[in-house]
Amino acid sequence: MAVREVLLYPDPRLKQACAAIDVFDKETKQLLQDLVDTMVAAGHSVGVAAPQIGELRRAVVVDVSGSKLGQKQKNHGLLQMVNPEILEEEGQQIVREGCMSVPDYTGNVTRAERIVVQFLDHQGKLQVVRTEGFEAIAIQHELDHLDGYLFLDRVSSLKTDLFRRKQK
Amino acid sequence: MQHFALTIIGRDRPGIVSQVTEILFRLGCNIADSSCSILGGQFSMILIVSSPQINSKEDFGEAFAPLEENNLSVFIRDLKPGGEKRQELAGNLCMISVYGSDKPGIVYRVAKELGDRQINITDLNTKLIGKDKSPVYVMMIEAMLPDGVEIEEVEGWMSSLKQELQVDISVRTLLSVEL
Repeated sequence: MAVREVLLYPDPRLKQACAAIDVFDKETKQLLQDLVDTMVAAGHSVGVAAPQIGELRRAVVVDVSGSKLGQKQKNHGLLQMVNPEILEEEGQQIVREGCMSVPDYTGNVTRAERIVVQFLDHQGKLQVVRTEGFEAIAIQHELDHLDGYLFLDRVSSLKTDLFRRKQK
Repeated sequence: MQHFALTIIGRDRPGIVSQVTEILFRLGCNIADSSCSILGGQFSMILIVSSPQINSKEDFGEAFAPLEENNLSVFIRDLKPGGEKRQELAGNLCMISVYGSDKPGIVYRVAKELGDRQINITDLNTKLIGKDKSPVYVMMIEAMLPDGVEIEEVEGWMSSLKQELQVDISVRTLLSVEL
């Protein structure tokens, strides 16, 4: 059990691609536990990716069930994901995202509306989960961290998204 | 450090930003927050700037004269101490879309509903669109609803305006999530 420090940009580790976890062992479980502890300790957070705590390995945790927005939608509660991979994506949704590692900034990001994601769970079992809405957004955001992408790399428009597009 | 509000506006063309920021760079100015956009045929820049060497707006001297010579209007103002810091706003962001046939008073009437209730507008854009014969006004407002003020309440305030101004108004929560 350990709450870890959440790295802030410009820490270079946030911009690196993470390595796949080849062996699911005690250390992997420890990493997942640290991610959960860190997410819970950060009260407002609905997900943490391993690089945010300085571990360049492909693991994230997501739990939207405690957030105001997540509660309104179907969700899978706590998801602990090792080597997660998005198999399918469909539709588009725009959401204004922020990130614990980039405080005081938000931007409009286009994400898939529905996704199918595959991963090893906290017991090392292969899972395939279909999800949509806020949970899908959170998963896409956390998975981006594993490839060194921040939401800043995904901002699709300036503040008044719907508005500017109308300009010819 | 003393901060300044700098606004610049002039007919849009390529190169305005580079010309302005070269001057600021040579003065040793930091640009903190800024917002620049095309409004009508004009390019407008609003910036908060500071420089360790500049303590009052007089210190800028003739630095911006080349901009004026290029038909850009420059206005600079000293900020009071702390004026560069954004105050913490509590609550939930909402978006209000207002659109309809153009007529006087749309912005004022909608803004008054919010202002009278001490609701802070954090962003506002308007644009005149459509054909010359039937111009349509579009306004997007982003506002911070204090805790306890629900979307339905805002819709209630807007419903009589809809009738009176003959415009469409919709209100929704702005999905803003920290991940």
